[in-house]
Order: sequence, then structure tokens, then C-alpha cells
Amino acid sequence: MVHNTQENKTLLGQGVLIFIYLAVLTGLEFFIAISFQSVPLLIVVALVKAALVVYYYMHVYKLNLEAEVDDEAYDYKAGTNRLGLWLFLISDSFVFAGLMAMRVNLLGLTRPQLNQFLGLGVTAVLLISSFFMNRGEALMHNGDRQGFLRNTAITFLLGLGFLLGVVIIEWHTIPAIAETVLHLFGEPAGVEPLKPTSGVAGAAFFMMTGMHAFHVLSGLILLGIVWNNGRKGFYDEKQYPVEAVAVYWHFVDVVWIFFYPALYLIGTVIK
Amino acid sequence: MSMSKTHPVWTGLLLLVIGGAIGYGIGLGLDLLISGALNFNGSVSAAFALLLAVTFFFFGVYGYRGITRGLVFQVIGTLLGALFVTGIRALVGSDTIFGSFLFSEPAWVFGAFVGDVSFVFGVGVMSDWMKWARGIDTPEHHEDEPGWEKYFGVSLDHKVIGIQYTVTALVLIAIGGTFAMIFRTELAQSQLQFLTTTFKLFNQTGPQFYNTLMSLHGIIMIISILLGVSGIMNYVVPLLVGAHDMAFPRLNAFAYWVAVPASVLMLLSLVLGGFDTGWTGYPPLSARAPVGMQMFFLGVFTAGWSSILGSANVIATVIRMRAKGMTAMRLPIFVWASIATSIIALTATQLIGLSFQLVMFQRLFGMGFFDAAKGGNPVLFQHLFWFYSHPAVYVFVLPGLGVISELLPVFARKPLFGYRWIAMSSLGIALVGFTVWAHHMFTSGMNEYLRVPFMYSTLLVAVPTGVKFFSWVATLWGGKIETPTPMLFVLGAIIVFLLGGITGPPNAAIALDLHLHDTYWVVGHFHDTIFGGFIFPFFAAIYYWFPKATGRRMNEFWGKVHFWMMTPSFLVLTFGMMRVGLLGMRRRIADYDPALGFDTTHLIMTIAGFLIFFSVLIFFINLFHSISHGEKAEGNIWNSRSPEWQVPSPMPVHNYDVPFVVVGEPYDYGLADSKYVEFSPNGSKHPEFPPVREAGKYH
Repeated sequence: MVHNTQENKTLLGQGVLIFIYLAVLTGLEFFIAISFQSVPLLIVVALVKAALVVYYYMHVYKLNLEAEVDDEAYDYKAGTNRLGLWLFLISDSFVFAGLMAMRVNLLGLTRPQLNQFLGLGVTAVLLISSFFMNRGEALMHNGDRQGFLRNTAITFLLGLGFLLGVVIIEWHTIPAIAETVLHLFGEPAGVEPLKPTSGVAGAAFFMMTGMHAFHVLSGLILLGIVWNNGRKGFYDEKQYPVEAVAVYWHFVDVVWIFFYPALYLIGTVIK
Repeated sequence: MSMSKTHPVWTGLLLLVIGGAIGYGIGLGLDLLISGALNFNGSVSAAFALLLAVTFFFFGVYGYRGITRGLVFQVIGTLLGALFVTGIRALVGSDTIFGSFLFSEPAWVFGAFVGDVSFVFGVGVMSDWMKWARGIDTPEHHEDEPGWEKYFGVSLDHKVIGIQYTVTALVLIAIGGTFAMIFRTELAQSQLQFLTTTFKLFNQTGPQFYNTLMSLHGIIMIISILLGVSGIMNYVVPLLVGAHDMAFPRLNAFAYWVAVPASVLMLLSLVLGGFDTGWTGYPPLSARAPVGMQMFFLGVFTAGWSSILGSANVIATVIRMRAKGMTAMRLPIFVWASIATSIIALTATQLIGLSFQLVMFQRLFGMGFFDAAKGGNPVLFQHLFWFYSHPAVYVFVLPGLGVISELLPVFARKPLFGYRWIAMSSLGIALVGFTVWAHHMFTSGMNEYLRVPFMYSTLLVAVPTGVKFFSWVATLWGGKIETPTPMLFVLGAIIVFLLGGITGPPNAAIALDLHLHDTYWVVGHFHDTIFGGFIFPFFAAIYYWFPKATGRRMNEFWGKVHFWMMTPSFLVLTFGMMRVGLLGMRRRIADYDPALGFDTTHLIMTIAGFLIFFSVLIFFINLFHSISHGEKAEGNIWNSRSPEWQVPSPMPVHNYDVPFVVVGEPYDYGLADSKYVEFSPNGSKHPEFPPVREAGKYH
């Protein structure tokens, strides 16, 4: 497949640009939260971030709703698969919307007691992984297999870092590591960690991060699959699996774009 | 298969008894070992008997492959998962290594989950995907086994899957109906007759067993309806739009096969202590019910995936695989209904799954979502639950109403009145349906300011539904009406659904609902809507499309007996329900005060219930007998304009040998010179069935 180098350079440049926007908005949101705590503004920032990811990283504009009966061409089937994936994501987003409704109902304008810097840290890790995912997809589109493998591997490691960050540190499954890391993020000693059983704040936090972590885990498995098949020499022509995994990975990021302010930024801390 | 002449079903039934006996023995022994007491009608022996009996039955019928392999994997997976958790509990020195049903509750839940996952691997529906993940290509289509055997294993053909869904739905209808007959018999007279407090089965007393059966009747019927909906949609939608299959055949097979372990879990919930919450499973009651509750939650959760993935498939198929010329306003009306129903099932189903998952986790991990002592909010559960479970009734009825609109013009020999309005009313019902859920909660203590908006949104549903009735009546008006069995059921559906429809707005009105809530009135209303909106059209669809699937038609006489026995009995039953409901009879209870004077009405209702039961039995016998002995019907026996009837029956494996082009309106029955579809000018491969009939023949 011959590709227009100019177009591909634009694609890579666009990825960098969107990443910068997202990083700035994440910083802005953190600043809004710790300085003047405006919930409407936080919602607006989250919506803008999500829109950027959905349009540029998940390229929703590639959806094609035309009908062509019995078309056996690869591109046509990939188009059908793309529609199927988006339908699945729409369905899946109702789970997360339900969890969000639960959080609003149970916690209102309060939030669990969590380390906001650690929250910013894990958010940054996931955001950076999204950048590398986009880069890997663009490079494979460009025919650069090594670049694709490298960037997918980085995405995988960052995703794993996010997952372990949540499960080990935020969930306190290994208290020794958790306390050391939390100390690095400026957590004063002796703060009682959240437990699933400790009131609705703990329940909501574990349920939301748990459901998200489950999606990160499944995303990691999918990343492993495309990395391994890419290593075997697939995806020169039939690139849809790469795109599908990228879109799924970005979707997991979009969920976190809403969960992060909902858990770490909005409202006052419950004692 | 062995070469003996015994019919495999007899072998299966023999092995069912043997497997049940072995399982019963194992369960009895294990129970004795752990609890130290022989419990002949307890839960553990029943659970093992159930699992092994089902597995052995399919082994006898089909051998060790397909569904049997799936069930074996499920049984082993369940045991391994349960033993794993039990082992961990023993290692960490937990106080309760074993529970009252042999395994502890977490062990049963984890085991059931592992069993669920093992089933789909065992049945083989994952094998292509696993190969793709390892970079191995598989052929696009797989050849099916010949004859009946293909229905017991994984097939990618949408017609096979449609029939698998439909048969599973019918099996569940039989089970759910039998449960209803048991508790209906108990209700025939006031006081407790056989489900008494001294009655003991599966660790439940009589009234508890009543509650379990009542709850399971609800959920098993709901799941059977969801599977029935998927069955019709799977079989018919690709045929109507001219596709060779669904958009994602493997996903389609997966969506069917997850419903099988879900059904097994439902039955397991009956024997593992049952549950007494009704199918709604409200906490705090559901947070304390026996282990059966968890099996119910997990079963619904799994069945939900069937619904979600099936809907995504239907939407993608209709959007991407329509025949040339099939524009939005030339889609068959049933396809519009399928789209509307799929939009709800695709999205809202996640919320019932989530609400049940939250209660599961509250029970397993002590998370306080709905536990007021921990700051939780039980009313939140009702919001999450009804956000699906109200629109769910539109998932049930929209395809049914689609069948009515699809069949009515065929038998009235007239164009469908107001095609565009009908098409849009399905979408209208679906979208308005998303905004009405809290009308189930007028008495539940939710914020009062929510009541009035939800009352008005609920009343709004009557508008698009009224559009449908108007169209049906106008279509019938002046038509040359023919009444073979499918049309009888369509007409019955219209009448019964009308009764269900007009008894709805009183429930929506807050002032009335405060009195009517949780009475038998609601039960009567609900059964009218679901029978009229789904069960009658489902029977109509089976009678109508049966020749398409088998090349034979069902017996017309016994079909009419089925109809004329079921319809009056059903009306008597629901009128009785509404009568006692208005007089103050509570729903979901095993007994009522003789002084209320309901005895006669209840006796009549019970008799009517049994008449329905026997009429459905006639239907089953007719169905299975007609598969091989029915009158041959290979042509367009209903004189339909629809494309699937322009090719011979049974439908060829890859549907249309020659693709068709849509050249006209779908329902212009009786109009001269009108054509709906035109097959390729090169001509059909089946010259004995001319592709498009002469326009004049429709008169």
C-alpha cells in the first residue's frame, strides 16, 4: 500500500497537537479544581477533552452508514466492523453512565478522600499512553512496522503502569508499596485508606475504578494480541484490527476523562 | 451416533434419568459429608442432579460435542471455580469454609461465573476468535451438519441460530408456564393447600417455594421473550433486507450460546434456596435472600449480553446489508420495529446488568450501595433497574407489533395504512420509552417532584401506540380479510393488546396508581400487554414463517383449536386478575383472606390458566409433529409480496441465489401494476417459482 508521506506527516503532527491540547486542558482542570472549584467549568473541560479524543484519536468521522449488499471487499467489511465496534462502545458507555449516575446520587457534591496528585499522575500516564497508541496506529498506516511495534509496546507498558497504579496503590492491595508511593506524592502519614466496605464513598470509588480497570485490562490483552500479530508480519494490507484496538484504547481513556474529575476533583472531601 | 434404531431422544431421556440419579447421589453424599445430615429434598443433591441430568440428556441425544461439551465444561468449570474459592478460604483460615449449600456463597458465585465462561469455550463458539487472536485465518463460512444435528452445535447460519433461539424460547416458556400452573393451583382456593409451611423442598418452605416459583415465572418468561424476539429477528431480518447472513455471524452465534448457561443458572437458582423478591430483586430484600438470588443475578447478567450483542448485530445488518433500492421508507415494517427494539436493548440492558452487579457486590464484598446503614440508597437501585426494565417491555412488544403490521396487509389484501407513521411510531415508542421509568416508583419514596413529569411522559407513550391501532383498524377497513391461523393470532393480538393498552393509563395517573400499585390489577394489565404485544404475535409469526423454515405448514385445524382455546381463556384470566386487583388483592402472595370473597374468581382464573396451558401443549405437539408430517408447502402459500416468499421453502442455505432489487412500496397489496422486489433479469435458479408474481394475482 502506497501512502502519501505528506498526509502521514500531517497525521503524526496532528497527534502531537491534540496531545498538547489534552495535556493543557488536564492541567487547567486540575487548576480549576484546586483553586476555585467550579463544577460547570470542570464539566465543560471534560466534554472538550472527550470531544477531542473522540474526533481526532478515535476518528469517529470514518463511520460509513451506506449499504451495499453482499460486498465481500475487505474495506467494506472493515467498515461494517467499525460500525459494530461503535455500537458496542455506545452500549458500554451506558455502564459507565450508570456508574456516574450512581456516584452523583450517592455522593453528590462530595468526593472520596484521595490524593489529588496521585490522581493527576495516573491520569497523565493514561493520557500519554493514548498519545503513543495514536502514534502507533498512524505509523502502521504509514507502513512503519517497527514504529508501530515500538509505540504499541510503550502504550502497553503505560497502560500496565496505570492498571498497577490503581490496583496496587489506590486500592492499597500491597500496603508497603502503596504507602511509599503515596508518601512521594505528599500524602501525610496515618491517613486511613479507602476500603470497599467503608461507606458509600469507598463503594463508589472501588466500583468505578474497578469497572474501568477491567476495561484497561481487556485493552491490554487486545494490545498484546495486535502487537504479537504485528510482530508476525500482519497488518500490511488488512489494518482494521490495529484501528479497532486503538479506538477501544482511546474509549477507555474517554471514560477516565469523566471518571477522573468525578472521583478526584469535583466537590468537597468526605471525612 | 450409534447405529441402533432407538430415537436419540429416548436415549437422551434414559440418560437424563441416570444422570439425575448419579448427580443426586453425589450431592447427597457430599452434603452428608459436610453437614453431617442426610437431606433427601435438599438443595445440594438437587443442584448436582439438575446439572448432570441436563448434561447427560444432551449427551444421549447428540454425543460429546456442541452443547454437550459446553455443558460438561460448565459443570466442571462451576466445580473448579467453587473449589478454588473454597480452597482459598481454607488457606486463609476463614470461619466459614463451606456454606449451607455445600459451597459458600462467594464460592458458588465464582464457580457459576467460571462455569458460564467455560460453557462458551466448551461449546466451541470462541474457537474462531481464539485462532484470529493467534493470527490464524479461518474460512468465512463453515459447513453445517445435515439435518437436525446442526441445531445442537455452533452454526453461523442466521436461520439456524434463529431457530435455536426460538426453540430455546419455547422450552423456557414451557418451564415458566409450568411454574405458573403450580402457583396458580395454590391460589385456586384461599388458605394454603399444598405449598404449606410444613412443605419442604430445596431448603424452602411452601410459601417460600411459592415466592421462588412466582419470581422465576417472571424472569424465565422475560428471558424466553427476549430469546423469542431474537429468534424472530435473527430468522427474518436478513431475509427481509436481502442479506446472505447477519453482519457478524460469529457474534450472532456467541449471543445465542451465552443464553444457554444463563438458562441453566436460572434453574440452579430454583434449587439453591430460591429467592423471594419477585423478578425485580429490590434490595434490601435481595441483599439477604439465599444463594439462589446470586444465581438469578448472574443468569440475568449473562442473558443480558445475549440481548446486547444480538441488537448490535441487527442494527449493523440493517444499516450495512440492505438490498439495492431498499431506502429507509421502503424497509419492511418489521425491520423498523427490530431497529427500534434493538436501540433499547443495545443501550438500556447495561443498566439492569449494572444494578444487579451492584447488589451482587454488596453481598459479596460488603459494599454499601443500597445499604442505608452505610449511607447507601435503596431507591437508587430502583432507578437503575427500571431504566432498563420499563423500556424492556417495549423490547418485548415492538417486534410483536411489527409482526402485526407486517402480517395484517398480507391477510387483509390491502396496503398498510400510514406506512410512514407506523415506521416512525416504533421509533417514537422506543425513544419516549427511555423517559418513563420512574412511574414504577410513585409509591417507593422517591422525590415527589419527579412524579408529575413521569406521569406525563408515560401518558405520552399512548400516542405512538394509538397511531399503530389507528393504522391497523384502517388497514382492516374494507379489506378482503382471510383468516388462516396466523391472521387469527394477529387479530387476537390486536384485541388483547388493546385491553392491555387501555388499562395502562390508569396506572400512569398518580392518584390512581397509589391505589393500584402492587395489586393484581397491574398483573392483569401486564399480562394483557405482553400477551397481546408479544405472545400472540409470536405464535402468529411461528405459524406464518414455519413453512419458510421447514417446507411444511402446521396443521390448520389444531392451530385454530389452539387459538379458540387460548384467547377466551386468556381474557377470562386477565379480567379475573383485574377484578380481584381492583377489589384489593395484593400481588406476589401465596394466600389471601377467604373473607375477601375472591375464591370463586380465583377458581375460574385457575381453570382458565389450565385451558391456556393445554392449548399451548396442543401448539407444541402440532409444531413438532408438523416438522416432518405437516402438509407440504414449498411455494408462496400466503400470497405475500415479501422477498423471502418469492423463493422456494425451505429457504436455501445462503438465502437468495440471485440478489433482488427493491422497485416499489412493500405493502401495496391489491394495487394493480405494483411490484415490491424484482430479482435479477437473468432469472431465478428456481424457474418453478417465478421470482415476482403478476400484480393481478394479489386480488
